[in-house]
Amino acid sequence: MTRSEALPHYVESSRLEHFVNYEVLGKTTLRVQRWRDQWKLARRRPRPNSPLNPPLRSVAHMKEIMSRHYLEGRYAAGVRKVAWVTSGAPTEPLQALGYFLVYPENHAALCGVRRKAQGIAEEAEHAGWSRDICSYARTDIGAMISGKTPAGRLPRPDVLVCCTNICQTVLHWYRVLADYFECPLVLIDTPFLYQEAHDHEVAYVKRQIEDMICVAEEIAGKSLDETRFRDVMTNARRGAELWLEVLNRSQHRPAPMTAFDGFIHMGPIVDMRGEAVTVAYYERLIAELDERIERGIGAIKEERYRVLWDNLPIWFKIGDFSKWLAERGVNVVASTYTFAWGELAPMIDPSQPLDSMARVYLHPILNRSTGHKLASMRRMVDEFQLDGVILHSDRSCKPYSLGQIDQRDRLVKTLGIPALLLEADHNDPRDYSDEQGSNRLEAFIEMMEPRG
Amino acid sequence: MSEAATLSLPSRLEVVDHVRSLGRALVAVMPIHYPRAMLRAHQLHPMEIWGPPHVERHEGSRHFQAYTCDIVVKAMSFIRSGGLDATKAILVPHTCDALQGMGSVLGDFLQPDQRVLTLYLPRGRRSSDHEFLRRELGRLARTLVEVSGHEPCRDDWDEAFEAEDAADAALADLYRRRARLAISDRDFYTVVRSREYLTAEQFCDQAAALPEGEAPQRGVGLMISGIVAEPALFDQIEAMGAYVAGDDLACGFRRVYSASAEADPLERAANRLLTSPADPTCGTPIQVRVDTLQTRMRALGARGLLIYDPKFCEPELFDVPLLRKHLNAAGFPVLHVEFEMGDRLPYQTLSRIEAFVETLS
Ligand code: SF4
Ligand code: SF4
Repeated sequence: MTRSEALPHYVESSRLEHFVNYEVLGKTTLRVQRWRDQWKLARRRPRPNSPLNPPLRSVAHMKEIMSRHYLEGRYAAGVRKVAWVTSGAPTEPLQALGYFLVYPENHAALCGVRRKAQGIAEEAEHAGWSRDICSYARTDIGAMISGKTPAGRLPRPDVLVCCTNICQTVLHWYRVLADYFECPLVLIDTPFLYQEAHDHEVAYVKRQIEDMICVAEEIAGKSLDETRFRDVMTNARRGAELWLEVLNRSQHRPAPMTAFDGFIHMGPIVDMRGEAVTVAYYERLIAELDERIERGIGAIKEERYRVLWDNLPIWFKIGDFSKWLAERGVNVVASTYTFAWGELAPMIDPSQPLDSMARVYLHPILNRSTGHKLASMRRMVDEFQLDGVILHSDRSCKPYSLGQIDQRDRLVKTLGIPALLLEADHNDPRDYSDEQGSNRLEAFIEMMEPRG
Repeated sequence: MSEAATLSLPSRLEVVDHVRSLGRALVAVMPIHYPRAMLRAHQLHPMEIWGPPHVERHEGSRHFQAYTCDIVVKAMSFIRSGGLDATKAILVPHTCDALQGMGSVLGDFLQPDQRVLTLYLPRGRRSSDHEFLRRELGRLARTLVEVSGHEPCRDDWDEAFEAEDAADAALADLYRRRARLAISDRDFYTVVRSREYLTAEQFCDQAAALPEGEAPQRGVGLMISGIVAEPALFDQIEAMGAYVAGDDLACGFRRVYSASAEADPLERAANRLLTSPADPTCGTPIQVRVDTLQTRMRALGARGLLIYDPKFCEPELFDVPLLRKHLNAAGFPVLHVEFEMGDRLPYQTLSRIEAFVETLS
């Protein structure tokens, strides 16, 4: 038995299965579901005992888009070439070549939101992976070896594309995937920017993207169509610009959406950047946010404190946190994490796709220094008129978390605002204590009281 | 352990005095890979920091969360308590996310008196990686000129490469001669690790002075893998009736580089770094790592693999289940233990290793 034969749940679909189950039945069912959700949301009135205003109506569209993406994933293997990619990978050429893209991190987050991550991660732990490695990796490795996933089924990859611009962890993780799937692993290694990017760093990334395109073309059995590539780049830029606009709408008081909404609505820009559907979705979302702003409707009913969230969300707690904080008048209006998918929009230049991609993919916040992250937080405190900062010290994510102790100290000292280091994990409930977390959050809110 | 008396290594302090008398300044260097000859050409001498084990985590914990490895936290404690005051710069190679955080926090927030230098090490072995590393080393070289005030001439480069290549060759030779060296594992690894602070010449002298004869290798042969192993472990392994047939340690065999004859010093330095053996922090594919380990274990007569890792070392942790799976299939049992750096090994760790040795006997 080869290693890949040990993964019997990765099956291929026929074109007929893809057409019937996805194109016809799947899309229709999801559209009907969306109509039903929209109808319900349109009739939803504020609940007197809820601290939150009704959710954004656009959420029905988002659900349809994301579900469609995962549904297609079930039937993609054997019909389209499939690439598993890291969240910061330069995917535009792959999209232009017609690849179906799987983002294991997003899949792991989905498991987290559905509160399935721990059980799936335990599959990996039973197979020997330590609880000290990133819980995204554990969740996905667990899903890979057990076939357990709330998405139904993921398609087997024809190629793995790993970009180190978020962490080195992904390379360790993708080496494991490569060992199981016995498929090519393309590495886009992005030197960490302790300071500004140097020319040789940009040149290095550009060359690797060019090499990636050659590998992807060979696997796809076709050449990259320049026009299609530019279109994808144009959509990628527009999508990122719109996403940034979405997030910046929360500079208004009261903010029309919370960062917790942002964590959910970022799905399309992560999984489908470069696609027209993403552009259309964010245009719709902005229109709804503007309508809320015009009518003075905030995401929470009584916005007393405005707060920044640093680091990944705690996926399994999003709903609880959002309500718990809203009950105390706290609106988490911005996050460094969601901004990462929008703030580089001005760097994307469809007329110089490779050069601009090399720059863009070198510059995500996670590939930049701890000092740069502090500067970003300071800017956000100013632009969003924030009263405090919650720094999620994420046990799983060392690149995001190391440096937070000094960042918090400086936020407190130089800006004079409360800043809380909240110990947890983005996907593993075993690393979060409700009691301790609530106590610390209560104390944090008390410290903001003079500002409320 | 009677052979311990055969070693007479200069202390770190003696080495400091010696290199200063040669007109070289000190640079503290974090693990694992860096261009030694380049430092020397700039009249700088590396003093590596792997821990240090006797330092407490307390001071470093003011800057890094509890889930950060000892290598980083203890080094930070050491720096903050003035342990590196004699050095002119601190070089932090980009080995992993933890060292990335350390380099960034040092440079951005703590700003020690020493200049903080960084070096990005590519994770591949492609021509793009070579080209990048050559230019990245060029950037580092320009910074070293600012640190040392010395711009190396051709002769400086040649002299530095000659000396450091000789020391690299002496290290490789030590491994080749291991079975013919009449010294304990503890002494062997004390000499291997003295490369962390001795000059190239001092290291060559030490390696050459080791007595030939029958190696006191009794009992079960083990291959030991991981980042770093402190001397006490070797004594304990010996006491359990086993010996170290070979290693895959970041502080050991993973730094057996091959020399390059390139005329361009940057090319030459890049080639050297990119010839290091299989190493997860360099992105070596797992199958290549497994094959390399298997071949060496067969050749050296190792019966099992002991993976001995500092806690919270992600680069190591990811590979463990697959190393176990593939090596077990090839007939090699694997034991993985994690440790906290300190003077003593916990009883529980020792009894697990002991039980492992017994199963191999
Ligand atoms: S959560 Fe952090 S460590 Fe894990 S994959 Fe994402 S960036 Fe990397
Ligand atoms: S022990 Fe592991 S995590 Fe720590 S510095 Fe070394 S390689 Fe990095």
